Amino acid sequence: MKLFQRTIRDLHQMLVDREISSVELTAAVLDQIDAVGDKTKAYLLVTRELALRQAHAADERLRAKRDVRPLTGIPIALKDVLCVTDVASTAGSKILGGFTPPYSATVVERLEAEGAVFLGKTNCDEFAMGSSNENSGYWPVHNPWALDRVPGGSSGGSAAAVASGEAIAALGSDTGGSIRQPAALTGIVGMKPTYGRVSRYGLIAFASSLDQIGPMTRDVVDGALLLQAIAGHDPRDSTSSSRPVPDYLATLADGVKGMRLGVPKEYFVDGMEPAVEQSIRDAIRLLEQQGASIEEVSLPHSDVALPAYYIIAPAEASSNLARYDGTRYGFQAGGGRNIIEEYMLTRQQGFGAEVKRRIMLGTYALSSGYYDAYYLQAQKVRTLIIEDFKQAFKKVDALLGATSPTAAFELGAKTQDPVAMYLNDIITIPANLGNVCGISVPGGLVDGLPIGLQVIAPGFQEEVALRVAYAFEAATEFHNARSPLMGAAA
Amino acid sequence: MPEPESELSSRQVEHVARLARLGITPEEVLRYRDQLRNILHHIEALNRADTSKVPATAHPLEERNIMREDRREPSLPAEAALRNAPSRDDSYFKVKAIQE
Amino acid sequence: MSAIATRYEVVVGLEVHAQILTQSKMFCGCSTDYLTAAPNANTCPVCLGLPGSLPVINRRAVEATIRTALALNCEIPEFSKFDRKNYFYPDLPKGYQISQYDLPFSRNGYLEFDLKGEAKRCGITRVHLEEDTGKLLHEGAIHEAQASLVNFNRAGVPLMEIVSEPDLRSADEAREYVMRLRAILQYIGVNDGDMESGQLRCDANVSLRPVGSPDLGTKVEVKNMNSFRAIHRAIEYEIGRQTEVLEAGGRLAQETRGWNDARGLTVSQRSKEYAEDYRYFPEPDLPPLDVSRKWVAEIRAGLPELPAARRERFMTALGLSPYDASLLTASRPMAAFFEETVRLGAPAKTAANWILGDFSRLLNADRKEIDEASIKPVHLQQLISLIDSGAITGKMAKQTFEAMYGAPDAGPALEAARGSTQISEDAELDRIVDQVIAENAKSVADFKAGKAPALKFLIGQGMKVSKGRANPQRLDALLREKIS
Ligand SMILES: [Zn+2]
Repeated sequence: MKLFQRTIRDLHQMLVDREISSVELTAAVLDQIDAVGDKTKAYLLVTRELALRQAHAADERLRAKRDVRPLTGIPIALKDVLCVTDVASTAGSKILGGFTPPYSATVVERLEAEGAVFLGKTNCDEFAMGSSNENSGYWPVHNPWALDRVPGGSSGGSAAAVASGEAIAALGSDTGGSIRQPAALTGIVGMKPTYGRVSRYGLIAFASSLDQIGPMTRDVVDGALLLQAIAGHDPRDSTSSSRPVPDYLATLADGVKGMRLGVPKEYFVDGMEPAVEQSIRDAIRLLEQQGASIEEVSLPHSDVALPAYYIIAPAEASSNLARYDGTRYGFQAGGGRNIIEEYMLTRQQGFGAEVKRRIMLGTYALSSGYYDAYYLQAQKVRTLIIEDFKQAFKKVDALLGATSPTAAFELGAKTQDPVAMYLNDIITIPANLGNVCGISVPGGLVDGLPIGLQVIAPGFQEEVALRVAYAFEAATEFHNARSPLMGAAA
Repeated sequence: MPEPESELSSRQVEHVARLARLGITPEEVLRYRDQLRNILHHIEALNRADTSKVPATAHPLEERNIMREDRREPSLPAEAALRNAPSRDDSYFKVKAIQE
Repeated sequence: MSAIATRYEVVVGLEVHAQILTQSKMFCGCSTDYLTAAPNANTCPVCLGLPGSLPVINRRAVEATIRTALALNCEIPEFSKFDRKNYFYPDLPKGYQISQYDLPFSRNGYLEFDLKGEAKRCGITRVHLEEDTGKLLHEGAIHEAQASLVNFNRAGVPLMEIVSEPDLRSADEAREYVMRLRAILQYIGVNDGDMESGQLRCDANVSLRPVGSPDLGTKVEVKNMNSFRAIHRAIEYEIGRQTEVLEAGGRLAQETRGWNDARGLTVSQRSKEYAEDYRYFPEPDLPPLDVSRKWVAEIRAGLPELPAARRERFMTALGLSPYDASLLTASRPMAAFFEETVRLGAPAKTAANWILGDFSRLLNADRKEIDEASIKPVHLQQLISLIDSGAITGKMAKQTFEAMYGAPDAGPALEAARGSTQISEDAELDRIVDQVIAENAKSVADFKAGKAPALKFLIGQGMKVSKGRANPQRLDALLREKIS
């Protein structure tokens, strides 16, 4: 097996055993980026020198056996919404062209402290707004399983990098499914932790009350390792929880025997591909065979989650994106006769169509006379969705469903119809609104394309979601399937 | 073609774009109007939920009174604060005239 | 003016913005010392609004706001939150200001003050907390400027907004209200009260209505007044301007006007026709606050004596007139100076006259606060005692006071004045001592008989004869010499 095909846990053992060096491993991954990067377009920026410098430092640490952590020397990709000191950070937007932050996100600092190696910044939908990565301000990403297909979004670059061997693992961000959906569409594991579990400091904001950073990995163990490294309270993020972080590996292999797992009937939505539905039904049966009790549950307000999301997220975004005015950083149009004209030109030219659409929608929803009907109503619906989950979790320990109603679709298939694109997130959005956590784990192949099984657990019970996902993964071979670009495991 | 009262009008689109300081061409006004109408049409589903006795959730967590002590911490080095400025004059950010 | 006064009633409400005295900014650790720092030196990712940065609330700023609200007799609700006020301006780095909209820290208070002996009360609508903006420098005059320069050192400094009810009925009342409010803020230590540097800023909503009408007239917001005098003049001007428009049968525009101090008039800034839509919504980055009664009680317990109470005490315990007591308590340092002077032994009325007279005149001319002057309470007390003992005349005292004020240290100037009037020449002292011995035979005999206190009496007589100008040490020596 090639080094870039392996998991964090494997590689960690090899690094500790001095079988390989981090520089060797990093070079192997950088070579794979050179080999397939033109096909996936997963990266916006490859930080080759930084990576090799960090790899050298990691090797020092490994050689001295000084503070060796699970991620020491492991090459990781960062979604471009994460700020890294002196490294261009654009959130996939032209409006942040050339911006190099003078500070790093908390998660980036935590990974640095672990001794991880940063490969670069991965492509994404502009300001994380999208489900196909076609809204990148730079270029679309191609799915390593089928290059004419989308990798999902908005963390499509991170997903494609992990699925093509261009990274061992990656960080993404999930506001309405942006980690889980691309993970499903590229056959990897992606987790959205509970809001407040991981610090958002240094995450370029899309929707502040929904955004969470999370791991995108080859398997569930790697997901647990990466989450362990980034989770926990941060005094710089007032919305980060001070609840203690459990040891995610400790309960990972406890199995599902005796667990109660719920299947929300509303998650089998109209428009779901029959083959996807069949795979999910098979997955549920498998977990039942593992000793879990399965029962159907109802999340009655699921049908209004999507409209609530498409008010709350754009409203917050319209405010979060007001700072991009071309005066302090990033793109400046020039040519305006006064400051207002200059703002209008800069934002007209700097933002892409989807971002502008959402800014307008959000501005409208907050504007005088419409606030109550849209924003306030959406926040009340959010309360109902939170309540739905609370009720369901009185009966069951975790919920099961598909991550996305379809496998990866062709590039360009939905770009003309915003609403059709929005429907991609219909079964991932409730977890963001409902303050719960969710993980997508490879659930099989449909016509040669991966699909994902989603496991949703109550807020701050990531260990429960990981445990169910691990039980499923351990009983299947789906996670061992490799994309054509990654190459067959030898 | 006259626009129905209840639907988003081109004028409203222009007003919203102005509020959001987004430059917008006449063609875009029409395109955004139609797209936003379609999106808002789907969003109308929000009203299916009975929320008459439901409080709004603005903050997902139960955390309260998260504050820091009044202590100074180092600011950015001056050059780090200014290096991304598209236009500057010495140690100031430089912007276009305020008045039209 | 009297015809106008009978036809229209003046309605004024004030919005006062007061920066809160903290070490660090409202939502980040940057220093609040923006006046002396190099441009943009006190900035960080948070107060520059860099992508990904997040705010964290400064506890001291919250407590100062509640402290202020309590001093203004406000209700403190048990639940409060921050909101975003969205608008674009180059001094606003995030494109929104973190402020408070529908659930501020306080509401429904009042401020009592006294105008020409008449007690007044002005309602306080609310006191809320927000962040200050950066500062713009215009290259040339604002109207012709091609560009502006932005300094974000002030961005994020904690700022309270104190909104009054439209309860004020004249420019005099408005000025008195702001003076009282300023005194309170200084007393409780939340603000320096410096209007010129912008630490305290005032906007006025001015309207006129026919006498007896319950409805409010068209409201004009007047900005850019940075002294008590400017507040008074601007409101007077605006009353005159609005009266003229109404008298001529015209209609007033609801607008914002800026006070031009040099020209002595208000100028239209922008019409409210296209009112800004601030799209307030709850700040998702900041969890809300439960303001427990225990916390409020702790803050209340830390409040010092407020100006109204102090004024009352100066009147009842020290016998000052209401007018003098008001003026003295308008500034906490001045009230403290006065109290210390009296504590050292100066008569209250005399001390008040000095402080409110010559001292204030000199301070005003120099735009200095009393605690910046070289004259300390001990100096004033000694000067007063010199006058009272007859050692110097009122005219000399005035000159001495000015010399003390002008010197870097008032002590030597005071000593010089005392010294220049003292009689130290032995010939003249001889004459005085001889006179005292001749006129006080019994005390002389007592002293000879060993009664020590008799000498003290004789020295006192010598001081009396010399009108306090004799050097007491020399008197002591000469008396001992001549009697023995
Ligand atoms: Zn700062």
